Order: sequence, then C-alpha cells, then structure tokens
Amino acid sequence: MENVLEIKNLCKKYDHFELKNVSFSLPKGMIMGFIGENGAGKTTTIKAILNIIQSYSGEIKIFGFDNRAHDKEIKEEIGVVLDDMFFPEILTPNDINKAMEGIYKNWDTKMFHAYLKEFSLLPNKQIKTFSKGMRKKLEIATSLSHHPKLLLLDEPTSGLDPVARAEIIQILQNIIEKEECSILFSSHITADLEQIADYITFIHNGEIILSKATNELLDKYGIVKCSEKEFKEIDKKDYLKYKKSKYEYEVLVPNKKEFKTKYTISVIDKITLDDLMVLMIKGEEE
Amino acid sequence: MIGFIKKDLAMMKSNFKLLGVLILVYAIMGFMGQMDISFILPFMCVMIMISSFSYDNYNKWDAYSISLPNGRNNSVKSKYITTILMTLMVSIITILLSFMISFVNTKTVDYEQIVVTMFGTLFGTILVLSIMYPIIYKFGVEKARIGIFLIVFGIVIVGGFLVEYIDFSFLTKTISLLENYLLFILIVTMIVMVFISYTISKKIFRKKEF
Repeated sequence: MENVLEIKNLCKKYDHFELKNVSFSLPKGMIMGFIGENGAGKTTTIKAILNIIQSYSGEIKIFGFDNRAHDKEIKEEIGVVLDDMFFPEILTPNDINKAMEGIYKNWDTKMFHAYLKEFSLLPNKQIKTFSKGMRKKLEIATSLSHHPKLLLLDEPTSGLDPVARAEIIQILQNIIEKEECSILFSSHITADLEQIADYITFIHNGEIILSKATNELLDKYGIVKCSEKEFKEIDKKDYLKYKKSKYEYEVLVPNKKEFKTKYTISVIDKITLDDLMVLMIKGEEE
Repeated sequence: MIGFIKKDLAMMKSNFKLLGVLILVYAIMGFMGQMDISFILPFMCVMIMISSFSYDNYNKWDAYSISLPNGRNNSVKSKYITTILMTLMVSIITILLSFMISFVNTKTVDYEQIVVTMFGTLFGTILVLSIMYPIIYKFGVEKARIGIFLIVFGIVIVGGFLVEYIDFSFLTKTISLLENYLLFILIVTMIVMVFISYTISKKIFRKKEF
C-alpha cells in the first residue's frame, strides 16, 4: 500500500526531552490516531513533519518526497490544525479567506464559505468573539478548503466539551466520506480515535511503543483480570504489562485467543485505547 | 506572498482610523498655522506595524505561518513590504497635504523644503524599521520595545556628546558639496538599509524553531 507519510528514525533532543528514533508510516486514504499522554512527543513530531522545528535527524517523506527539499510543493497539499497556533484573533473568517486566496494555489472560496455555513460561523465576526469549539471548526474549515491530500490535526478536540468534540468527529467522518484525504490525528482523548482511526500509533516519552491497525489492536489485545495466584502462573512472555489493584491483577495481553487456549483464566475484557494507554504507561513489566 | 500582505493589512484595519484621525489633526493644525506634526505620520506606520507583531505573537501566527506554502520567507517579506507600502502611502498623502497647506497659508509652495522634510522623516522611519525588525525577529516584540527605548536613548546621548565635542564643519561642507545628490543618496541609503535589515531578519527567521 502506498504511504503518504513515512517517518524513519526521527530524533530531536531538547534539554529535558528527546524524540528517540520515531518511525511510522501512514498509508494513503487512512486515518491514523497518534496517541500519547501530554508531553509524549506528539506535537514535536508534527512540528518536525512541517519543518516548524528543523534541527532534527532522520528522514521524513511526504507523498514520497523529502519534506525539507520539497517544502513548498508539499505544503500546497497539506492541511493543518495546530494546537493553539492560528491566524491572529482580530481577523475575521472573511479576512482569512482573502489571505488564503493569495497563499494556496488551490484555495476554494466557495468551499470555505460552504463550511462556514455548515459550521454556523459568521464570516464577518472577529475570531476573538468565537467560542473554543467555533474556533476549532474555523481552523478545520481553513485546513480543508484547498483540497489537501494530507491532514495533520494536532489535538483538534482538546479542551472541548463532549458535544463540540462529537461535532468535530462527525465533521471529520463526513470529510473522509467526501474527500480523498489521509489524516494524522493526534490526541490524548482516545475515545475520539476509537470511532474513526484505521491505525493507532502510540508514543510515550518520545518513543513509539506501537503502531498497528485499530481493529487488530482492539480485537487481539485484552485485559486479563485475575487473582495474585493466577497471575503468578502466567508466563512473562504472554503479557506486556500488569497493574496490581486492591483486589485483583489487570494484565495486558497482546493475543487474547492464544491466551485463552493456554490458560484457564476466564475473565478477559475487551480493551479500550484508554486502558491500553494507562497500562502501557503506568503498568509494570515484571 | 500577496496573501501574507493581505493578512497584515487586514490586521491593521482598525489602526487605519487612527492614522486617518492623525492626518486630519495634521491638516487642521497646518491650515491654522499651528505646529507641523507631519514628521509623526510615517513614523506612526512603523509603530502600528510593530503592534501587529504582538497580535501575531499572541496567537502563535509565526509557527502557523511556517505550515503554509513558503511561509518562512513570505512571513518576513510581507512585514517589510506592508510597512513600506503604508509608510510610502502616508508620506505621499502628507506631502500633498503639505503642498495645499503651504499654498493656502502663503500663496506659494516651497516644494523643495516640503520634499526634503518628508524625505528626512522617511529616512528616520526606515532607519527605525531597519534596526527594529531584526531585533523583533531575534528577541521577540516585548524585548524589542525595550530595545527601541534604548536605541533612541543611545542616539540622544551619543548625538549630544558628538555635537558637544566634535567640530562638524567638515560634514556641513561635505553635505553642501553633495547637495545636488542628497535626495538620490538618501533613497539609495534607505534601499540598502532595508535590504540589509531584511536579509538579517530572513536569516534569523529561517533558523527559528517554535
């Protein structure tokens, strides 16, 4: 399958944080959920993809081209929603439209106004009068109105109430149906991603812990709930992490079916991305 | 590129009213034969544009602009072009008004005096812009505001010292020798200053990470 985004061995060092050999790829037409706790390296990775940070090592290819050598051409085809970064809030959607007409070759004024109407955003109101949800919708409308082939969304639902979050997820679902677009969607609110992501890439402390198809992850992985005695009988090779609570052990297993054939423990729960994140980060290995 | 200029101009919309009021005040004072405040007008354009950096900074526009096609170059270029366009437009309006004021008040127009005064003001404005913008790109607009105070303070102190202790008669002679070329020299110097300043700002912004 053709990849629209390929990252190989991306490294970037700060005083207190480091991206370590980040590698993953996003196949064409797919949505990838990029998950991890706050400060895990999601935004830094997206900034590197966009060359907002530059002094990194490794290789980033977008549509098969090096992102630094073909910066301008690539950015004509990318739409972005960045966490807290946008046009100055004294501008109006109309001002943004006029500016973007002169920035993107493929800017589609009709499409932008159609989105404004769909999202109930007034074209002559200053951004500063918008609620947080409205601003995000405006950012999404702006990111979509030049027919991008790749969307990079950095925490587009962060800080929003459940209603606004659901609306944004619905908007993205509609876009996937209408447009031929691949999406990298970073979030620490994993419930949003379970609904729409085809792939999940999990970053922790600047390292990619896993990158897999969502179905595979949710179908294969499971949480075994057992007593201490039962836990001690489980081979270390058969689980990834475990967490000891007051009355039971929660054990993260990478293959529910295999586990069932090998052990008699009957309580194996379905996993959610939240469970996966908590166990991978907070769980113990041995 | 045009899009970045449109964005900067759109941000300055509310300040155009302020400029309009200042031009009106200048015209009224001029027709009444009161103080000439024409020198303030082009300088105001730079001050207004410096405030646009604060708006950009507040919403992290600089980082966002890099995600747009050719954003690193165009973001800087548009700031210089917008400032110079605004300054030139205000200077032209001021010159035309000065001609009218001079004609109404004295029935004659001292073209040379008005043009030289305006070019002197324009030179000062371009000098401030050329010094300030690289400082803003390097240290941010808040620190640069302290910078402008230090620069003006420094110029006054050093200027005062030089006037006190150095005989400038040689300079006066040189200027009178170059009198015929003064306007040309001023224009060339302004272009060189802007070019150097823009090149430095572009280099600073090209290396910047957010």
